Amino acid sequence: MLLQLNNIFKWVNSGGQRIFLLKDINLNVEEGEFISIMGPSGSGKSTLLNVIGMLDNFDEGEYSFLDEPVHTLKEKHRANLYKQYIGFVFQSYHLLDDLTVKENLEMPLLYKKVGSSERKSLVADTLDRFNIVGKKDLFPSQLSGGQQQLVGVARALISSPKLILADEPTGNLNSKQGEEIMGLFKQLNSEGVTIIQVTHSEKNATYGSRIIDLLDGRKI
Amino acid sequence: METLQVYKKKEFMHQSMLNLFQYQNQSELNRFQCQKTLIMFKNHIKIAWRSLKRQPFFAFLNTFGLAIGMAGGLLISLYIYDEMNFDTMFKDADRIYRINADIKFGGTESKSAQVSAPMAAAMESDFSQVELTTRFRNLGGMLLRKSNTEANIKEEGATFVDATFFEMFGLDLLVGDMQTALKEPNTLVLTRTAALKHFGLKKAIGQSLVLNNTDTYTVTGVIEDMPERSFLRNHNVFMAMAGNEDAQKQEWTSHNFFTFIKLIPGADIADFQTPLQSMLGTYIMPYVQTFLPGATEEQLEASGNYLYYGTIALKDIHLYSAKDHELSPNSSIQNVYILSFIGLFLILLASVNFMNLSTAQSLKRAKEVGIRKTLGSDKPALIRQFLTESGLISFISLLFSLGIAVVAIPYFNALSGKSISIPFTEPVFWMALFIGATVLALFSGMYPAFFMSRFAPVKVLKGAGATSTGGGNIRSLLVVFQFAISVFLIVSTLVVFMQLKFIQSKDLGFTKDQVLIVDDVYTLGEKATAFKEQVEQLGQVQSATLSSFLPTPSVRSNTSFFKEGGATAENSINMQIWNVDDNYIPTLNMEILEGRNFDRQFGTDSTAMLINESAVAILGVQAKEALGMRIIRNFENGSSNNFTIIGVIKNFNYESLRENIGAVSMTLGRSTGSLAVKLEAGNFSNSISSIEGIWNKVAPGQPFSYRFMEDSFNTTYEAEQQLGRIFVTFTILSILIACLGLFGLAAFNAQKRTKEIGIRKVLGASIGQITYRLTTDFLKMVGVAIIVSLPVGWYLMNKWLEDFTYRIEISWWVFAFAALIALTIAVLTVSYQSIKAAIVNPVKSLRT
Repeated sequence: MLLQLNNIFKWVNSGGQRIFLLKDINLNVEEGEFISIMGPSGSGKSTLLNVIGMLDNFDEGEYSFLDEPVHTLKEKHRANLYKQYIGFVFQSYHLLDDLTVKENLEMPLLYKKVGSSERKSLVADTLDRFNIVGKKDLFPSQLSGGQQQLVGVARALISSPKLILADEPTGNLNSKQGEEIMGLFKQLNSEGVTIIQVTHSEKNATYGSRIIDLLDGRKI
Repeated sequence: METLQVYKKKEFMHQSMLNLFQYQNQSELNRFQCQKTLIMFKNHIKIAWRSLKRQPFFAFLNTFGLAIGMAGGLLISLYIYDEMNFDTMFKDADRIYRINADIKFGGTESKSAQVSAPMAAAMESDFSQVELTTRFRNLGGMLLRKSNTEANIKEEGATFVDATFFEMFGLDLLVGDMQTALKEPNTLVLTRTAALKHFGLKKAIGQSLVLNNTDTYTVTGVIEDMPERSFLRNHNVFMAMAGNEDAQKQEWTSHNFFTFIKLIPGADIADFQTPLQSMLGTYIMPYVQTFLPGATEEQLEASGNYLYYGTIALKDIHLYSAKDHELSPNSSIQNVYILSFIGLFLILLASVNFMNLSTAQSLKRAKEVGIRKTLGSDKPALIRQFLTESGLISFISLLFSLGIAVVAIPYFNALSGKSISIPFTEPVFWMALFIGATVLALFSGMYPAFFMSRFAPVKVLKGAGATSTGGGNIRSLLVVFQFAISVFLIVSTLVVFMQLKFIQSKDLGFTKDQVLIVDDVYTLGEKATAFKEQVEQLGQVQSATLSSFLPTPSVRSNTSFFKEGGATAENSINMQIWNVDDNYIPTLNMEILEGRNFDRQFGTDSTAMLINESAVAILGVQAKEALGMRIIRNFENGSSNNFTIIGVIKNFNYESLRENIGAVSMTLGRSTGSLAVKLEAGNFSNSISSIEGIWNKVAPGQPFSYRFMEDSFNTTYEAEQQLGRIFVTFTILSILIACLGLFGLAAFNAQKRTKEIGIRKVLGASIGQITYRLTTDFLKMVGVAIIVSLPVGWYLMNKWLEDFTYRIEISWWVFAFAALIALTIAVLTVSYQSIKAAIVNPVKSLRT
C-alpha cells in the first residue's frame, strides 16, 4: 500500500455556508498503479491531487502515506516526506525561468542535499534518458511547450520518486505533444512508478489502469 | 582524497536516506554538510545574479537607491569619526583639562575659556593632583620678517606659551632642545611649515625673527605641524611666555590666558571642582579688595555677580565647548547629532526602498517560491536564498557607493569644510564596510525574505491569475515613512535658509555693504594717518575711519568702569571700550539716538564718550538722561580717567546674531588696527588698486591685505551656511531615494493592476480616469506623510531657532510649500507609470 485516504473532508466557509470541496473521499493506492482523476470543472480534482501531494491541508479524515499518518505530521516532517517520494508535473510546466534546463533538473537534488558528483551523474543520466542533452543550456523560454513539459516530467523524476502527481499535464500541449507525454507516463508506469493524473481527456484516461470520477467533491 | 572517496561512496549508498545518524563520524558529517552549504550558497548567488539581470530596471532602482544611501552614510560616518576624534593624538589627553570661567560682573556676562595669568602657578603649587600647567596667550595673526630684511610675511596663529608646552602635550622637537627651547624671553618655536617658509628646517635654529616690526625673537626649536584634528591646528608660531609682561602680573580679574592642567594619574576631575572654586576666596577676593575695599563674596553674590570656575576635558573641547573665544573655532555636538540623524535617515530610506521594491516584485517571485516548495525547498532554505540575494545587491551597491564616495568627497569636503579622505588602506575601514553592508543586507532583506517565503504553493501555482500577494499595508506604511522624512527635511532646509536670509538682511544697526577693510594698518606706525588721508582723497571713497574695533566678531574684552559716586560693586559697569575716530559713526552709518557724534571742533571731546543702548540699560536711565553723565575708569597706579557721555548710539549687532548685544562705549583715540573705507557703489577694482598703490608708497615691503566687511560678516555664519548646504544636499538625496522607491512601486502597482485596468477600459474608462485612479492612491500616502511630519518639523526647527537671539517665526506657508513640493514630486514620479499603464490596449492586458 502506497497511500490511503479515509473519509477525507475539505471545506471552506463562505457567507455563513459551508461549501465542501472534498466530501468523504476514500482511496487506496497501491504501488505501481496509474490512476486518472476525472470530473467536470470545480469537482475537486486538483484539490484532491494537492491533498495527496501534501501541498494542501484537509479538514477531516485520515491520510497515511507509506504507513506514516500524514495528518498528524509536523510541517517539516511532511515536507521531508514529499521531497523524498513525490514528484509534481503541472499543466503550465512551472519551470524556473531564470534557470537553464540543466539547472532546473538539478534543483530538487540540491534541496535533497545530494552530493555534487552524484548530482552531476543523475542530471546527465536524465538528460540522456529524455533525449534533451542538446537543450541542457537553454532557458525555458527558448523551448516549445512540449519540450518544456518534457523537462517538467524529467525534473519530477530525477530524484526517483515513488509517486508522480500530474495536474492536467497535457492541458497546454497540442495533441501530438500530448501523446508523447502520455506515452512517457505509460512507460514510466511500466518501470514501477506510481502515477496519479488529473485529466479532462477520456483518451488520456485510457492510459491509466483506474479512473476515479469526481462530482462536487464526491467520488462517484 | 581517500576520505573524500569514502564519503562519496557512502553518500551514494544512502542516497535516498536523510537520516543523519548514518554518517559514522562527526567530522566527516561536518565536512559533508559544509560542502552542501557551499554548493547551495553558490546556487543562491547564481540565481540572485540571474534574477537581477532579468529585471534590470528593478535591479537598477534597488542598487542605485541603496548605493546613494550608503555613500551618504559613508561620508557622514567619516565626518562624524573625524569630529569625534579631536585632540586624541596627544599623549595623556585623558588627563588634560582646560579651566573655564563663567563670569558676571558689572552687568555683563561672559563665558570664558580663559582665566587669569597667575592661576596656573597657584594651582600647581596649591593642589597636589595637578601635575603640570600650561598657558596660552593667543595673538592671532601677525607679521614676521627675518631681522635683516624689510618684507614681512603674515603668519596666522601665533601664541605665547609656557615652556611646559612640550611636556604637557607630549610633543617632540624636530630640532632644538626641549629643556631650554621656550625658557628664555624672546625665544620662539616654529612648526615645520613655518620653519620651511622662512629658513629651512635645519637652518632655523638660532635665527632671528622680527615680530610686527617691533620685537626680535630667536628661533630655538622646530616642531611638527599641529594636527588638523587638534585645538592647535593652524597655529604655527609659539613664543616663550617668559617674554609676555601680562603673564607675570598678579592680575586675578583679567581673563586672558587659556590654561591647561594635567592631573596626576588616577586623579578624578570631579574631585577637583571644589578646590578650584575655593580659589575665589583664596586669591580673587583679596585681589578685588585692593580696588573695591571691603568687598566680600556675599556682597558680590547679593549684587547678582558671580565667578564660577569649571573644567573641560581636552578631548571634549571641540564638540562641547562653546565659550566666548576659543583657540580654534569649535564644532558642536548638536551638529554631530543632526548629521548622524541625516545619515541614519538616508540609510533607512534606502533600506526601506529595498524592502518596498523587493516585496513589490513578490508577485513575480511568487511562482518561483511555489515551484521551489514543490521541489522540496523548505522555508529556511528560501529565506537563505532571499537573504543571499539581498546580500548580493547590498555588496554590489557597496561597490557603487565607494565609487560615488570617491567622486563626491571633494564636494563633501567643500560642503563641510573638512579635509577628509577615504581610508582605503585601513583594514578596519574595510571591516566596517563589510559589517555595515552585511547588517544592511540582513536588515533590508529580512522582511522581504520572510514575506516571500511564506507563500503557499497551492495558491500561487493555481494559474496565471494571482492578483495580490499581500503586504500592501506595510508597503504603504514604508512609503509614508519615506515621505515623512523627506517632507521633514524640506521643512528643515527652508527654515535654515530663511533664518540665514533673515540674518543677512537684518538691520544690524550699521551698514556693512561697500565697506572695504584694509588690515594691519598699525604696521605703518606714524604714517597711518597719512595713509588714511590719502585714501580719503580717492574719488570713489565716501569716508574712511581708522580703528582696531570693527563691528564684526573678534577677540574682545570688557573693561570695568564706575558711575560717579565711588568705586562700589553697585556702581560698577562692565563694558567694552572702543577707540575710534570722528569718522567712525558716519563711515559705518550708525545711528545716534540722542546727543551727537565726536567732533574735532570741540576741544573737550578727548574725554567724551558714546555709549550704546545696552550700556544705557546698565546705567539704569533713559537715553536722554544718560547725556552728560560721568564715567570713571580707575587704573592700577591710582590714576583715573573721567569721561562724559555725549551721545547714545542705537544698538548694533557686532557679535553673531546668536548673541545679545553687549554694552559698548566709544572714545576718541588713536587705534590703527584697520582702515575701514566706505566706497560708492560701482566697480571696486580701481579703488582697490589705487589704495594698494598708496599703501605701497607709504610702506614699501609691507604686505597689503584687504577684505570686504560683508565677507567677514558672512564667515560668522559659516556654520549655519554649512548646515544649510548640508541640509540641501541630503534633502535632495533623500527625495531622490524616496522617488526611486515610489517610481518602482508605481511600476509594480500598474503591473499588478494590468488586468483591472484592462477591464475598466473595456467598460469605458478614459485614460485620464485611470491615471487619476492610479495616482491618487499614492498621493494619499504622501498626504499622510505630510500630516505626520509637519508637527515634528515645526517642533524640531523651533528648537534649532532657539539658539538665535534674533530669529524668524516659522509661518504656515513654509509647511504648505514643503507639502506642495512633496506632492508635486510624487505626482511627477507616479504619473509616468500610471499614464503608461493607462494607455495600454486592453486586448493585450486581458489576454491570458
